[in-house]
Amino acid sequence: MTDTWNDRLSEYLDDELTPGERAALEAHLATCRDCTETLEELRAVVARAGALPARGPDADLWPGVAERIENAPAVIPFLTRSRRRFSFTLPQLVAAGLALMVVSGGGVWVLNHGGDATSGPPVAAQAVAGQGGAAAPETNIVPASFVDPRYDEAIADLQQTLQDGRAQLDPQTVRILEANLDAIDKAIDQSREALAKDPANLYLHNHLADARQRKLALLRRAVEMVNKG
Amino acid sequence: MAEVARAAKGDVRAFEALYRAHLPRVHSLVRRMTAGRDADELTQDVFVRVWQKLGTFRGDSSFGTWLHRLAVNVVIERFRTDQARRARMHDGEEIFNTIAGPALTRDIRLDFEAALEKLPDGAREIFVLHDVEGYKHHEIATLLEISPGTSKAQLHRARMMLRKHLK
Repeated sequence: MTDTWNDRLSEYLDDELTPGERAALEAHLATCRDCTETLEELRAVVARAGALPARGPDADLWPGVAERIENAPAVIPFLTRSRRRFSFTLPQLVAAGLALMVVSGGGVWVLNHGGDATSGPPVAAQAVAGQGGAAAPETNIVPASFVDPRYDEAIADLQQTLQDGRAQLDPQTVRILEANLDAIDKAIDQSREALAKDPANLYLHNHLADARQRKLALLRRAVEMVNKG
Repeated sequence: MAEVARAAKGDVRAFEALYRAHLPRVHSLVRRMTAGRDADELTQDVFVRVWQKLGTFRGDSSFGTWLHRLAVNVVIERFRTDQARRARMHDGEEIFNTIAGPALTRDIRLDFEAALEKLPDGAREIFVLHDVEGYKHHEIATLLEISPGTSKAQLHRARMMLRKHLK
């Protein structure tokens, strides 16, 4: 058997050789019984693969799927919905603004203080980090990852959904929403820059994770309100 | 398509009908790609992802094609988190001997499936994508982050192993 040609038999079968290579291989096949037999065997493999029947699982997987999708809301296309405009209520806007001030204030404090992990954050930032009044012990802080495909994918989906449905929102609401998102993005960027200089700073990790979570929550809330329209 | 539209609006019954219609093909794809490892769990992951993404289905391709591409992506995402699998991409020459024998039972289809499961991971994934699912080498190269040349070489390797099984 000629190994050089044998290694090209699949390409020959898949019609991926140049005309010159194809002619040379066919000339070789005319004189090589081993390669001719191998070619026929490979042809049989390809035919078998193409004829494999589909077969389902032995167990019914639907109950597990049904349970999980209950907690995973579908992304509903906007074209099928009514065009009613929607506005955030004043308390909602005030709450969003306060949350933004807390996030941004923490970011500014971190930058002004050089991200020193040994000194405590200001009171406002402690409230964000603690989520319940008391700061979490350092041993419970999980460093935030800069690369999180699921998070990025969720954000991209929500932003696309919001973009598609923004016509249903009051223009002033959209402006405030975009300003808030822009400020959170800046807080995220500032945290990342600070972390690049001080990767071991747990407060910064916590601050970044919190800002990313707030962005996700704000986008989800906005999309939810658009969906209700 | 009516069921797709209803499911996209949140109709769980319509989605269940889609699930049942496409389950055999999706599960077969997942099972063959993974050699049966966690196939049920991954199949569930696929349909949960489908539910979440239904609103993004634009109808540019058939629903089945869209769903299948999504299923391939879910499986490959799992591969990427399995570092041990990467190390196996270029191993497995010893498997030649274990699947070299001809079919011993009457059900040749099942024998072929069993032989497929014994292929090295890299060769099996590429064989399934190319010869079973109809993907092109440049598409496989993009999906698996390898070169088209590697895809061709692994496909030939898989076929050469499997041909011995069919003798």
